[in-house]
Amino acid sequence: MKITLTVNGTGHPLDVEPRRLLADVLRDDLGLTGTHLGCEHGICGACTVLMDGRPVRSCLVLAVQCDGGSVRTVEGLAGPDGAPHPLQRAFSAEHALQCGFCTPGFLMAAAAALEADPDLGAEPDAVAEVVGSNICRCTGYEPIRRAITRAAQEQREQAHER
Amino acid sequence: MEQWTRREDERLLSGKGRYVADISVPGCLDAAFVRSPVAHGALRAVDCTAAREVPGVAGAWSAADLPDLPPVPYTLLAGLATEDAVAGREWPALVKDRVRYPGEALAVVLAADRYRAEDGAAEVTATIDPLPAVVTPAAALDDSVRLFDGLSNTVLRGEAGQPIDPSVWRDAAAVVEARYRQQLLLPSPMECRAVLAVPEGDWLTVWSGHQMPHRLRRELAALLGWSTDRIRVVVPDTGGAFGSKSATFPEFVVVAHLAVRLGRPVCWIEDRRESMFVATRGRGQDQSVRLAADAEGRLLAYELTIDADIGGYPHLGVGLPMQTAWMATGAYTTPHVHATVRSVLTNTMVTYPYRGAGRPEAASAIERTMDLLARRLGIDPIELRRRNFIPPAAFPYATPTGRRYDSGNYAAALDLALETLGYEEWRAEQARRRADPDALPLGIGVSCYVERSGGEPGGLHEFGSLEAHEDGTVTARCGTASTGQGHETVFPALVATVLGIPDAQVRLVEGDTDEQPDGLGSFASRSAQVAGAMLQHAATRLIEEARARAADLWGLPVDEIEWADGTVHPAHDGAAATGLGDLVKSTGPLRVEDRYEAGMAFPFGAHAAVTEVDPDLGTVHVLRLVAVDDCGVVLDPAVVHGQAVGSAVQGIGQALYEGMTFGADGVPNLADGFLDYLLPTSTEIPPIVVKETRTPSPGTPLGAKGAGESGCIGTPAALVNAVADALRIADPDLLQMPLTPDRVWRAARAPKHEEGTR
Repeated sequence: MKITLTVNGTGHPLDVEPRRLLADVLRDDLGLTGTHLGCEHGICGACTVLMDGRPVRSCLVLAVQCDGGSVRTVEGLAGPDGAPHPLQRAFSAEHALQCGFCTPGFLMAAAAALEADPDLGAEPDAVAEVVGSNICRCTGYEPIRRAITRAAQEQREQAHER
Repeated sequence: MEQWTRREDERLLSGKGRYVADISVPGCLDAAFVRSPVAHGALRAVDCTAAREVPGVAGAWSAADLPDLPPVPYTLLAGLATEDAVAGREWPALVKDRVRYPGEALAVVLAADRYRAEDGAAEVTATIDPLPAVVTPAAALDDSVRLFDGLSNTVLRGEAGQPIDPSVWRDAAAVVEARYRQQLLLPSPMECRAVLAVPEGDWLTVWSGHQMPHRLRRELAALLGWSTDRIRVVVPDTGGAFGSKSATFPEFVVVAHLAVRLGRPVCWIEDRRESMFVATRGRGQDQSVRLAADAEGRLLAYELTIDADIGGYPHLGVGLPMQTAWMATGAYTTPHVHATVRSVLTNTMVTYPYRGAGRPEAASAIERTMDLLARRLGIDPIELRRRNFIPPAAFPYATPTGRRYDSGNYAAALDLALETLGYEEWRAEQARRRADPDALPLGIGVSCYVERSGGEPGGLHEFGSLEAHEDGTVTARCGTASTGQGHETVFPALVATVLGIPDAQVRLVEGDTDEQPDGLGSFASRSAQVAGAMLQHAATRLIEEARARAADLWGLPVDEIEWADGTVHPAHDGAAATGLGDLVKSTGPLRVEDRYEAGMAFPFGAHAAVTEVDPDLGTVHVLRLVAVDDCGVVLDPAVVHGQAVGSAVQGIGQALYEGMTFGADGVPNLADGFLDYLLPTSTEIPPIVVKETRTPSPGTPLGAKGAGESGCIGTPAALVNAVADALRIADPDLLQMPLTPDRVWRAARAPKHEEGTR
């Protein structure tokens, strides 16, 4: 099936089998291997990407369902000038990753929450909901919670300064 | 660089990490395995004909199609397997005539991609006559169902310590007994297993997320009949391991064999469903214990009997339960300790090290039993422990079960844990609630563990080198392999500190057998303890070599050459300093090879938990968890702290959530994956406070002990003790892990232990 995906701002005309998962098309057809497959049944969230701005498990979405849509992956998280996203810096600062395999999924879920709610940093329950949506086996989650809160607060402070 | 805390972080946070599944090799074939739906059965036939007709399929093979396919190797390392146990019990990489665990591979299909490989796998048919399945040691012990015809299911008997004279039990003021189940656990790293084999001429390059690249190279070479120098194993970024990625698995044997046979790259990227059925499991012990004390609560004797389910084949973990036997003594001066082991084959996937690896089972058994004894004697469980701790002056301490503990201060760790928890305040709150019929019961539990790190004799050394370059930078190489522990950050910092140069001038190369020809790897929490000590030693040797060269260069005696901040200078002339880079330029390549042997180390700690139990719902709410760990000298406090928290969360998983049930046919009930097997998510995590004491190991000048397994070892018993304390149950056997609402609800309705005691 012929489809068009806009991924991280770049349009890609693709010819894909209807059964192919979005995750596999991103990884295998487009070479965007930052999106990881952790469980392939929608539980762990490692494969989370943004589809038209909303977080989805890319192991539960067929690529053809995204025809004409836009997808954002971890490769598209940094700014246009290559500057790291506040979440990327905060995850490093808070030791919110060890092996790094689940990390892209947490980053994208958090990025969506942050964009939807500029006051996320002041809402511990909302942060907890984001962290609770994915599985990490290394960190014990608390550093991830701190990192998301830190990035959210930083973003809010910058917004106020402007 | 400065905006990244670890060197690994930039690539892992920007999608530029490279795990095995991310490596693209032209012409690579994807493997899909056809797996047995039954747990135990006689394989009559496998037909791959239809699979070979599927578009995109390059080939499909059963064992009958691959007469030269080597069997799965066994490992004698650390006594994990024994020649006796594996004799007559071959583990074929593809089933030949008998299925012994559910999901065992019947055939393999290679295709242009995984979709087509699975299309092909769906067309393979197999005829299996089911046999009765035995999935617990109790069911397998009597040999009424044998996994290997004519051979017993009991493949290893072992003991630690001496049998205890019956008079000790008879004369004791108090003797308590209990039975505990250490349930089978799925290690569940976020990245499942992965292997990519790329043949080129006479050589084979193997990429794998792996803890022991040199072992993988050695075992692959042996099964291919090659010399090791024809194989290169590379460990790229690896998504966690927790002990579960250090063997040569059946699928690895098949992939390497077919890659060489076809002369084409072949990869196998395990999916989660496969992992849950056929990746190695941890724990799996049925224990019974007996503990005796005098009227003052001084321990007299402890007996631990272990029946371990080691899975369908003895090749990887038959000896693992001996780790539990050797560590049975725990933190106490008990004069008589005897532990016995029977390792029993069952129709489950093989049991293998998982974070803690034998030590959680030991700590859990003794620590739960200490609380039981305290209740029997009417002594505060804290006081009972204090009366029996091995005192700091007694180290090195030879235990009755054959370990020689290197150093420790167990009371200090417990004191810090109790102070951090607010023990007395929680006891007061408990008393208040007990007087209030409307309050939910609250319990406090502690667990004082001793761990063994570094490995067993014969595996306590590590190889590596330091190479100084003309630009003044240093390349460190070593035989370990990081699966998320941040070696690229931690080891260069250690070397830089010894040399007195900026961290950024040192770079680490590991996980590549071409770069570092010898190595043991990362297991048993040994990387900092053993490889760290090796790199520290190599750095001091590099300094010696630099001083010797400077002495030659300047015509001075070597004792007149001093080293400071990465430079050499004559003792009388500090201003004439020459940097390491200039020294290399004027004297040639400077490289120090090292092999360094450490001693076994014994980390320890005290974990304390407060839980609130709802007797009507059977739910356990963890209000507080404190973990005090002592892993000697710490190389990177933030990294160690992070591992301690993550480990504690895995310990919470064992205590409260993780476990599997089996159908009558012996197949585990895992059809819904992570909805059936509950890993902790952040929603389940209580406030955790991790603190440390630091008692250096005398085993190396570095003084580091192993870190990162503490939570799996110390946390489960603290939680179970807290729930037992809340419910005041008389029968400890009622609280078997995981403490599901069903189990807790039933325990809450059972008789309480006598009033008047805690």
